[in-house]
Amino acid sequence: MLSIPGRPGRTCDGFTRRELLRVGGATMFGLSLSQYLFLKETAAAEPPAGNANVPGWNKAKHVILIFLQGGPSHLDIWDPKPDAPANIRGEFKPIETVVKGIQLSETMPKLAQQMDKATLIRSVSYTPAGLFNHTAAMYQMLTGETPDKVSPTGQLEPPSPTDFPTAASHVAKLRPPDVPMLASVMLPRPLQESHVIQKGGTAGFLGKAYDPYFLFQDPNEPIKLDDLTLRQEVSKIRLQRRATLVQTLNEGMPELERAVSGYALNKYYEQAFDLILSGRARRAFDLTEEPTDLRERYGRHTFGQSCLLARRLIEAGTRFVQVNWPAVANGNPNVDAWDTHAANFGPLKNLHCPKLDSGLSTLLWDLDQRGLLDETLVVAIGEFGRSPRMGVSTSGNGNAPDGRDHWPYCYTGLIAGAGVKRGSVYGKSDATGSTPAENPVHPSRILATVYHALGISPSTIVYNHLNQPRELVKAEPILDLF
Amino acid sequence: MMQANRQPTLRNLLAIVFGAILLACRPAHAEPARERAASERIVALRIEPAALVLANRRDVRRFVVLGRRAVGDWVDLTDRVRLTPADDRIALAPGPAVRPQRVGQSAVEVRYGALTARLPVRVASMTAPSISFVRDVMPILSRAGCNSGTCHGAGAGKNGFKLSLRGYDPEFDYAALAVDVAGRRVNRTEPRQSLLLLKPTQGVPHMGGLIFEVDSPEYRVIRQWIVEGARSDVGSTARVARLEAFPKRPVVPLPGMKQRQVVIAHYPDGTTRDVTEQVVFSSSAREVASVEPDGTITAARRGETAILMRYEGAYYTNEVTVMGDRRGFRWTPVPEYNFIDTAVYRKLRRFKVAPGELCTDDEFIRRVSLDLTGIPPAPEAVRRFLADPTESRVKRARLVEELLDSPAYVEYWTNKWADLLQVNRKYLGDRGVWVFRQWIREAVARNLPYDEFVRQLLTARGNSNDQPAANYMRILREPAVANENVTQLFLGVRFQCAKCHDHPFEVWTQNQYYQFAAYFAQVEFKRDDGGAEIVYDRTEGEVKHPKGDRVVAPRVPFEHPGAKAEGPTRREALARWLTAPENPLFAKAIVNRVWSYLLGRGIIDPVDDLRNSNPPVNAELLDALTADFVRSGFDLKHLLRTITASRVYQHRIETNRWNEDDRLNFSHALPRRLTAEQLLDAIAMATDSWPKFPGLPRGIRAAQLPDTRVAAGGFLDLFGRPPRESPCECERSNEVSLSQTLNLINGATIAEAINDPEGRVARLAKSTLSDEEVITEIYLAAWCRYPTPREMATSLAHLRSAGSRLEGAQDLMWALINTPAFLFNR
Repeated sequence: MLSIPGRPGRTCDGFTRRELLRVGGATMFGLSLSQYLFLKETAAAEPPAGNANVPGWNKAKHVILIFLQGGPSHLDIWDPKPDAPANIRGEFKPIETVVKGIQLSETMPKLAQQMDKATLIRSVSYTPAGLFNHTAAMYQMLTGETPDKVSPTGQLEPPSPTDFPTAASHVAKLRPPDVPMLASVMLPRPLQESHVIQKGGTAGFLGKAYDPYFLFQDPNEPIKLDDLTLRQEVSKIRLQRRATLVQTLNEGMPELERAVSGYALNKYYEQAFDLILSGRARRAFDLTEEPTDLRERYGRHTFGQSCLLARRLIEAGTRFVQVNWPAVANGNPNVDAWDTHAANFGPLKNLHCPKLDSGLSTLLWDLDQRGLLDETLVVAIGEFGRSPRMGVSTSGNGNAPDGRDHWPYCYTGLIAGAGVKRGSVYGKSDATGSTPAENPVHPSRILATVYHALGISPSTIVYNHLNQPRELVKAEPILDLF
Repeated sequence: MMQANRQPTLRNLLAIVFGAILLACRPAHAEPARERAASERIVALRIEPAALVLANRRDVRRFVVLGRRAVGDWVDLTDRVRLTPADDRIALAPGPAVRPQRVGQSAVEVRYGALTARLPVRVASMTAPSISFVRDVMPILSRAGCNSGTCHGAGAGKNGFKLSLRGYDPEFDYAALAVDVAGRRVNRTEPRQSLLLLKPTQGVPHMGGLIFEVDSPEYRVIRQWIVEGARSDVGSTARVARLEAFPKRPVVPLPGMKQRQVVIAHYPDGTTRDVTEQVVFSSSAREVASVEPDGTITAARRGETAILMRYEGAYYTNEVTVMGDRRGFRWTPVPEYNFIDTAVYRKLRRFKVAPGELCTDDEFIRRVSLDLTGIPPAPEAVRRFLADPTESRVKRARLVEELLDSPAYVEYWTNKWADLLQVNRKYLGDRGVWVFRQWIREAVARNLPYDEFVRQLLTARGNSNDQPAANYMRILREPAVANENVTQLFLGVRFQCAKCHDHPFEVWTQNQYYQFAAYFAQVEFKRDDGGAEIVYDRTEGEVKHPKGDRVVAPRVPFEHPGAKAEGPTRREALARWLTAPENPLFAKAIVNRVWSYLLGRGIIDPVDDLRNSNPPVNAELLDALTADFVRSGFDLKHLLRTITASRVYQHRIETNRWNEDDRLNFSHALPRRLTAEQLLDAIAMATDSWPKFPGLPRGIRAAQLPDTRVAAGGFLDLFGRPPRESPCECERSNEVSLSQTLNLINGATIAEAINDPEGRVARLAKSTLSDEEVITEIYLAAWCRYPTPREMATSLAHLRSAGSRLEGAQDLMWALINTPAFLFNR
């Protein structure tokens, strides 16, 4: 037993019993209390027991959402149309996959070998209710709310605290991790269009405490996370003692606490202490613990390593990882952004698709061989597809003859894991990939499916900043996927 | 905020439990019903508008009846009064409204209980004018949303049919309807077969759904217009000149109550129309009050909102107050230090809000030092100020003078202007950044009058190293960018929308956008030695309007009596007009901006979005401040001195029962998270450990960094330093995030400052001072005040139970930094 001369009444870890009580009771980093509260919140959202028999219900412990911001061309990746006229079918040929009857574009040779693990939804479709830009569409995809709520003035607008919450934030709140860990992570960079960053990707009216942890580093480079590493000179006990001191001092100034409550400072401090003291997050971000050949297989580029990092994070307990496509629309054909208004083909074949192909296919394979695919829902989708006809303007943007414009009316998403059918196609597009021919799927139904898979009823009521009741998403899950 | 209130803390749970018990014990008849009924008795009636003139057979006009309650406020009684026409010259119509029957003078008799009132109505004529495209048809398209940005008003139209966005171009719209598609949209021989009638009634499939029914009033107007030949009066009929609403600026007593409105359009020829049914209404704060399509306001909770009205390119804002239950409120007079207090307290009194307490001297010295110099006071300064026996108000004013004269003031405001003017290596190179910043520095140090400062920025020419103000044009470069930045920064106007179409909520038009941009069309740049450029004005160079590719002549968006936009060069002409004292936006924009820096919120907010539909929360205050600023000769130090001298600026954070729900009216101080630079400098000041920035001498503080490319371990960017890519205040983020708390707890910046062997903490720990004295010094350095006895006890216990005195002192400094008392300007 450790005892410090002249300072009686200490337990061996440096705490007096009274201090221990205070720590536990004051929510500073009292895991027990915060977990109790989380459990209570979760219990409130618990759906009727009858759901237990509904296909896919509560099968997912984790979600990896690969958000292909920019809007990839569905015809040139997952829904080839070899019989369509030349200015629609484009330059690529279809290839067979391991699943008989499912073809992909030749741009996806590796994914073709893993198609027996996933379902393609080839009839994702919506009509923009407002502006026809990326920000509006991302907001629609990730919050489930119509894009006309984004910007009444017609301009791109930065995120606002009254926005509808992004899916990652709803999940962070309703299904917090079972262990002290970042509840949701968005990586390797935020959502973006033009200078508008993170619209549709914040906690909005849930409050900033439920914002995802935004990485904004390239996982293909060493990740610097000094903040998550306990400093050498500060032992765990010392940090705990400091935290207790802060707590006591703050209690002496209740009016200031109240005045700054809108900043959710306490919640952030609580989370930060949990993370630092557990060291869990720190290790999850360390990709050097992975074998080199696996890292190679994912692809030594930002997207591939982001997929690998996503797997490590869910293994460490993160509930929701969103991998945003690393490049942002900027009109430069040499940048691997999906927004191919010009030069659709060369860059897709040589620049974009090889990265998507290695990252996504390896993620499916890796999750499956670890037994994680059965408890992890993987979704890969963009905010829209691209116009089947080349060189026409559908969004008001100019398009080169070899470019494709925005196309939300029919495109493809990939979904896998957590009981989703393996090697299947749901829905069907017409002969040119322009409209759904069967089973049109509004993107809000994909969100509903994500919540459903996590055991969260899509009709769960949450309260906005005005205390008005709002459904998580006004859509039904797609039960036929399971 | 709501957010926090919803967190089920133990304290709240207890409060709920005990609250329920108290509630159960409370007598049910807290306020006798009879007493309440008496206070709500109606004692007088008022009708708005006060008299009506019906100009022709189709002229139908609404009115509103209000009743004054015994308690002095007004409620809408329109639904509850009995209405009778005085004779058969007029008839009542739904609304309620009056419709003409015969020419002559008449009236509507209004009765409520024993009270009566009379609304005079004159029928001037019973002629039936023909349907006007401009005044009758276009408003229907706008009201139905046909020309909205999500329907046919979209840039590319919708399904092959395009209208101008919200009808800003009637000529285009007439052509689209009556000329295009070989007469199918308008069928003059068989009007009912016109697509213009078939589509909205879904006689043929319409993606936009059913807009109005066959034979509805809208349908009949459009059909009649086609029957009469679908003629255009675009050139000959003037559009509406202005709108007017009744009742003006209503105060609705309680949530749940309704208030009707009547909206009148005035035309340049002196005629008017009741357009209540055609106006598009919206509420700027729907949580306070919502508005229905017929203009009826429904109060939801105590607060203020603006009801915005849009009709055919005209805009009107009716400010609405929902008073809420304020029984028990009594105004207690508080001292007024200057005209700011007069204006703020007048509003508070009207809105039944009690002003907060005066802040303490230690709160004041920290707050005002951060606001004027960007850095908290040194412990010695705090000690001296608190010990000074001079009357508080006098010594506070003296302190302000000292701060305004300090070098730290110059550094801080130089940095602020460098943000707003986008002093960024990307545009100017190293040397350009240096000379431009130096020029700003000298201007701040000399307290160059603001109008002169802006004039030089807008007109400077020559070699950019010799004439550093010319660097501003190098940053702006293009006429469109110059237009948008100059209007946003110096006039507080967001002109961007008007680049592609008329501003949807404001008077700014697309033409005005290009006319304003034309002032920058003749600026030219020529490379010169040393990375400099020569900035000069040519006599040629034009801006073209995207519609028709025509050259647009420079013209200001509005005239004012002070100065015409004339001068030897286009830039000088613009500067003359822009910086004139009579320009209603120029001084107002900077006054509002500076106010927001010191009070945490603009009188108009956001500060760079001045428009009629975003009214000030206190117009009297803004006007008085603006007038005072202009009178002072655009003296920015005078403005800062005036604001900091007010009692309003010196309010405490702490709220009382009567101002705790107020965040708009400056009834108490709002805590503001320290900006990135303030935070870094405050840490350095507290620990007396000054960071070393790469490539710069030691002793430089964050506010002195030349531009945002200077790395500071990511700290400044993490805490929201603006990237200087635009003049928008929104570039700076003062939010809190998880990454920030991780950094505060565990990051290198604070750790190194606390552990610095030369720093304050190490010096104190090594000193011969007693533990109590060490603690006092740390409080003075970090919180700018002495510890309370309770804080002293807590700190002492910690210090003495730590591994060493040094560790204990480090812990204490760390803890004080990691509190809202440090992280916020309070």
